[in-house]
This record gives sequence, structure tokens and C-alpha cells, in this order.
Amino acid sequence: MNHAPAILAASFLGPEGQGNHRTGLRPWPAPLDAALAQGDLGQFHWSTLFASDPARFARMDLMSRFGLAAVELLGAGLETWPAERRDRAGVCVETGAGSLAADVSFLHTPRASLFTYTLPSTVLGEICIHYRLRGPMLCLMTGAASTPGSVQEAVQWLERGEAGACLCLRCEVADAPTTAKLPEFPRADWHAAALLLGRPDAGQWSRPLEIDSIVPLCRSVLGSAGRATHGEHRHPDRWL
Amino acid sequence: MLPQPNPSAPTPPEPVAFAGCGVVTALGAGTEPLQRALDANTGGLTARPQLACRGYQSVVAGFVPEAFFDSARAAHPAHADARAFLLAAEAIQQAERHAGAWLGTVPPERRGLVLATTKADIEALENLLAGRPCSPAARRHVQPARLAADLAAGARVRGPVQCVSVACVSGLLAIQQGARLIQRGQADLVYVAGVDLVSHFVLAGFSTLKSLEPDGCRPFDRARAGLTLGEGAGAVVLARPGLCGGAGVFLSGWGSSNDANHLTGPSRDGSGLALAITRALAAAAAAPESIDYIHVHGTGTPYNDAMESLAIRAVFGRRVPPFSSTKGILGHTLGAAGVIETIVCLLAFQARRLPGTPRLRERDPSVPDALLAAPQPAPALRRVLKINCGFAGTNAALLLEHP
Repeated sequence: MNHAPAILAASFLGPEGQGNHRTGLRPWPAPLDAALAQGDLGQFHWSTLFASDPARFARMDLMSRFGLAAVELLGAGLETWPAERRDRAGVCVETGAGSLAADVSFLHTPRASLFTYTLPSTVLGEICIHYRLRGPMLCLMTGAASTPGSVQEAVQWLERGEAGACLCLRCEVADAPTTAKLPEFPRADWHAAALLLGRPDAGQWSRPLEIDSIVPLCRSVLGSAGRATHGEHRHPDRWL
Repeated sequence: MLPQPNPSAPTPPEPVAFAGCGVVTALGAGTEPLQRALDANTGGLTARPQLACRGYQSVVAGFVPEAFFDSARAAHPAHADARAFLLAAEAIQQAERHAGAWLGTVPPERRGLVLATTKADIEALENLLAGRPCSPAARRHVQPARLAADLAAGARVRGPVQCVSVACVSGLLAIQQGARLIQRGQADLVYVAGVDLVSHFVLAGFSTLKSLEPDGCRPFDRARAGLTLGEGAGAVVLARPGLCGGAGVFLSGWGSSNDANHLTGPSRDGSGLALAITRALAAAAAAPESIDYIHVHGTGTPYNDAMESLAIRAVFGRRVPPFSSTKGILGHTLGAAGVIETIVCLLAFQARRLPGTPRLRERDPSVPDALLAAPQPAPALRRVLKINCGFAGTNAALLLEHP
């Protein structure tokens, strides 16, 4: 059996709520909902989405916290995967704002613990450390005319055998203090969206997701693939 | 003759050719001053005492000479304060000229560009937040993707454009991406450029980590104590071999991995880097004993150099090929390092001479004795491995081949 790559799980966090392909979008609990809606992202606590405190969560920058949370929200059980599978699990991140919030904080108050997070790829490292993933990785800075995106890259990795599974993550986290300091930068709602791509198997991942069902959740990470025809199941390799 | 793909690999790749290169470093613009410094095994790192009042751990770095920026600003007046753009645009133009006239036959829609950078024009962000003047061009380039877009426009690229930012492996991953774009049929040629600046931001940042060597780095030295920053840009033109004559150096394999261990420190056993190397060798169907030379990351920090020594011993066993680090000439150019140091490898093929490890006084006994202190002739150079490592546990490897 050699199924083509497909989306196996999807998740989303944003001002309007959080959820995955099973739960759909759920509102944040009060009073966190008001804080997040206003861009006060520091109010997000690990207990909202994690069963136990991920190591160093409180020291992470916002991008790492929300990126890690999006992957956890997939419910993929990555921490239970055998080592061989995790060795071949890739991570592809795309972001426009990148580490801008951490950059601004660092310039204001230079600290070693903060400098570590002034790279857009640090979220990738936090994900790999937390779930012990050692496959190929990439972080794409998106913006004007940046193509192809993370999903297209992941499909290629899977089809070429460079990875056995792949996490695609879109992370845009610029909090209110950052955008206030840089008014000329386009303001976008913060959010993180994650996809798990792989080959359907006989077990937990036997049913690939229909793209139309996840476009409302994960439009930003789906990119051009999100322009699905209503009611038509799209196979990843037909998005390119 | 082209290197032959491995038919038993999951997807036999078509080798991609390096068709041209260009560089701007602490030695100035062009590959000639770089080659002279490699031959002399010295040069490039300078001190700027005027920075001492800022409290940085070191004021020694691989600074690009101001004379370069003076002439570059004359050519790009709208980008006078956009140093990252000036560096990368010059490197791309050099690579175009080096590639030759055939490049003009490739329509813009079949050209791609991949930019590697960790902080793009971070100086513009510093100026904005401090209320200092900042041109619209520099302000745009705070966002790395916009820097990539402007460079693509200057190079008449209307095909795919990507911007890769994965710490100090950005350059090697960008080259991998350029090759992927060609192998997928999305482009016939791809400019791959890498650029980063020695700015207040990075000097302050690495100073907070206390990872700078005050007097200049000494990779693999017994007394090494830290890295030295560098700035610059490198650019290569990747192309289908049929477009550029089919001769020269090819990219025949690559690999990457994550240590999954620590954000700033490499894994203690080097297994992550060994995995990236092994993947690159497997992709090219190359046995470890077929590697003639390794250009390592070699920053000069105690942990990095120790980890790399373990990694190459793990892969190559007792038959470690000659290896060296050139960060003692150029400094650590961060996101640009992978591209600039790949160009160092291309120059090694051209000159049939392996670079040494500048500023080395006494090899650390734990480092394999295949470390080259001085340049060495290599008349039969065929396969070169290029490796880099970076923050967040990232590792990448390229296999370059001259059939």
C-alpha cells in the first residue's frame, strides 16, 4: 500500500478561538478571550491547551508558545511515535512577521534568554525539542510574492522520500505593544495554524482530511491550496 | 560527464549545476581578493575600537570595507542606507556576469530566487525604533521577504521567490531549495543569495550569550574561546546542466536534521549533524571514503568545534578526510555563511587547492588530525562536503561534485 501524501490533522489558534479538525473552532474561555482579542498575548497560559507544563514555556517568546500550542492541538500523539518515525518527521514553518516581537523586545532590553528567540526558526527548534523530531526542516519568510509555501514543500519532501511525515506551521504573532511601536507595518490578526501531512495508513491515520473541511480553520497555511472548489476533495499533489 | 543519479534512492535526483558565483566579504567585492586571502591563509578580521564604548564582548569582526558601500551607494542611490540590499545585489550581479551570456536566454518566468538571511536589514529596525532616519527601501527590508522580492525584481526574476531563515544553516538550506525548484521543473535557473550584517543587534546579542572571542576566533584551537562575527553576501547561480554547458561543479546531494536537544548549544554527541551528513551522502549514493574534503562550520566556540569533531568521526571513522574552517578569515556570516562558504568550496575546485584553517596556533588534541592548518594542493579534487550548524539544533550538509 503506497498512498499519496495527504493532510491527516489540522489545528488553529487565533483571536476568534482555537480548535482542530475534530472539534472545529471553539471560543477561548473568559477572561482570556478578551485579552487575546485585544492582542494581550502574554495572558496565554500553558494550561489552556497542555496537559502538563512544557519545559521552559514561560521563558519562550510568543511565537514559540503559540507555534508549540498549534502542534499540540493537532492531537497527533507525536510524543508516542517510535524513534524511527520521529527521526524522519520534518517541520516546515512559514511566517511573515517572524520574530519581530522578540526583536523589538530585545532592542529595548537586551537579554541572553531573549536573544535566542530573535530568529523565526526558533519555534521550529522548540517543536523539535519538545517532540524529539529530527527530520528535515525549513522556515520560509513569506510576504510579497513568496512561493511555494510550506504545504507544497512538505508534499515534495514526502513524495521524494526525504521525510515520512511533516508538520506545516503558519505562525503570525505580533502583539499589541509591537504593532504600536511600528505603526507603518501592516497589522494582521495574530494566529497559528498547523497541519500534519503524511501517508494514510491502516491505523489512526486512515482517513485523510477533505480540504474544504479545514479551509475555514487553516486558510493561511494552506495558501494557494486553500482555494478549493466547493465540495471537491483536493489531493495535495493537485494543489501545486 | 555528469555525476550519475542513484537509481535505488527513493527518488533519483537530477544533479544541479553551479553556473556562477559572486561574493562581497570583509575582503571586499569579488572572488579574487577572497582567493588571495585563502592562499595566504590570513586576512579579513579587523577591530573597530570606536565600538568599544558600546560594551560588546568583542569589537573584532569581518566588516565589509566602507569603500565598497561608497561605490555601491552611487549605483543604488535609493538604497543608500539599505546595506543588506547593497551587498546582496552586488553578489547577484557578480554571479550573473560569472555565469555568462547564456543566462540572458532564460526568460524571467523561468528564473527563481532564494534568499538566505537571519536578520535581513535589522539596522533599519534599530533606526526606526530609535527615531533615526530610515529610507523607505531600508524600512521595507526589515521584512526579509520584501528584501527577497526587491532582489528578485533587480535580477528580472518572475518565477518562484523564496526567503529562507533557519539560523546559521539558512545558506545551505537555501541552496537546497534552489536545487529543488529546478528539479521540480518550477525554474530553469535559480539565484541563491545569502546576506547578513554585523549590526548592533547581533553584536549585542552574541555579547549577551558571551560567545564572542575578544581577539578573533581560532577554530579548533586548543585555546579557542568563541566566535567572531562577519558580514557579507554570497550568490550562486544554480542551473540545469544542459543550459550552462554541462561542465563544472554539481550539487549531487543534501541533507538536514535537527538535534532535538537544545536551542543554542549543539548536541553533546554530534549525532544530529552526523545524521545530516549521512543523509547527504545517501542522497548522492556517495560512500564516506569518497569524500575528498570537508568545509566545516568551525565557529571557534568550544562546544561547536567539539561537536563537529565527534560528528565527522562518527561518519568517517578512522578515515576522516582533510577538513578546515575559514571563519578565521571572514568571520561567521550567519545566514550568509552557507552560501559564502560554498563559494569557498567552488574556489577550491577551481584552484585545486584546499583552504587551511586561519588563525590556528595549536590544534585541540580532541580534534581529528586531518584538520588542515595551511592550504594544501588537491589536484584530484572530486567530492567536497559542506556542513553548517545553527541555533535551534539545526544541521545541514551539501555534497558538491566535480566529475
